[in-house]
Amino acid sequence: MTFTDETVMAYVDGELDEKARTAVSAALATDPELARRVARHRALREQLHSEFAAVLEERVPEHLVVAARGGAASPVPTNVIALQPRPAMRWSWPQWGAMAASLAVGVLVAPFLWRQGAREPLVVQRGQVVASGTLAFALSEQLASTQAADTRIGVGVSFLSRDGSYCRTFVLRDRSAVAGLACHEHDQWRLEALAAATPSSAAPGQYRPAASSLPPAVARTLDELIVGEPLDASAESAARARGWRR
Amino acid sequence: MARRDLSEELVTLLPRLRRFARALSRNPHDADDLLQLAIERALTRAEQLRDDAPMANWMFGIVRHAWIDELRARARGARVFVPELEGQRVADARQSADLELLSVQDAMARLPEEQRVAVALVLIEGLSYKEAAHVMEVPIGTVTSRLARGREALQAMLGEG
Repeated sequence: MTFTDETVMAYVDGELDEKARTAVSAALATDPELARRVARHRALREQLHSEFAAVLEERVPEHLVVAARGGAASPVPTNVIALQPRPAMRWSWPQWGAMAASLAVGVLVAPFLWRQGAREPLVVQRGQVVASGTLAFALSEQLASTQAADTRIGVGVSFLSRDGSYCRTFVLRDRSAVAGLACHEHDQWRLEALAAATPSSAAPGQYRPAASSLPPAVARTLDELIVGEPLDASAESAARARGWRR
Repeated sequence: MARRDLSEELVTLLPRLRRFARALSRNPHDADDLLQLAIERALTRAEQLRDDAPMANWMFGIVRHAWIDELRARARGARVFVPELEGQRVADARQSADLELLSVQDAMARLPEEQRVAVALVLIEGLSYKEAAHVMEVPIGTVTSRLARGREALQAMLGEG
């Protein structure tokens, strides 16, 4: 008896009714070709499953947990005041302008538009600009030494600052590129400098810009803050392992 | 009537939802962005979730919709982040597979999007055909044919044909 491919797949996927399943099972014992087809489909299933199983073990980025909880407030009865902190403000152009005045920010010549639907990379919290979403995640998790060449957020130089916090430079690439510098404080990455990146400092493949290829505003801030030399790959990895705390 | 605590159910599901998003989107950051968008959408549509409905499948559907919207937006804007835009033609992949075997994730990224969804739901997430059909909003026969073609393409790319 021959079985169609659909039947063999359904057998492997546990989708056959009992009669059909029994028929395939019985034939397996005497039909090496059928056994080979079943094994082939099982192997693919297992390969896919094991390849993606690792994702289940990863730490879920905090911003996703916050998103799941954050917007989920059940309808608040009107006679109760919700004591939730105000959500972080979202960026708008006037805010970029206001921030430019208070930070060592270079001129943002090109509009940096984050992908629609993605979480903004920078938010204002308690009067400070902090990294958020995928930028916060990249700053906390990504190593310059191992990051993918095509990553949208490139981490550059990591170093210890005068006030003892770890700081890192980064490049955000979307339609245009922006380079910045953020320091780790109270489990957040506080923005210290931000500037439009020149094409050379944002060129594909160049994600570990030497200080000299950073936009001047960012390079200046780096010079002001850095103590000693930038972290090498092993120091960078060790700092990450300690959660960017000393 | 006791209201379901959607948020806590969602938090519990996050690892699985991340795995599904990762199966759709090769780039981990894009996958998390996709999931973030899906979470935001889900929370605004919580009333659409029936009390007895499995939340995982409901969320898979929302992630899938967000993913398709994203692909369309990218196609419109001719974005060039990742080489998975239209699931490169499988014929090309077959030829290159002769020379160099692809990783499972690269191979997934090359599948046409709907085959990728079917493979992710059934082979990775372990949904039944019926559940997958519900998530994909297509008849079961469509699920099985996409699954069959997806499997063949993957096996060809992974060199196990």
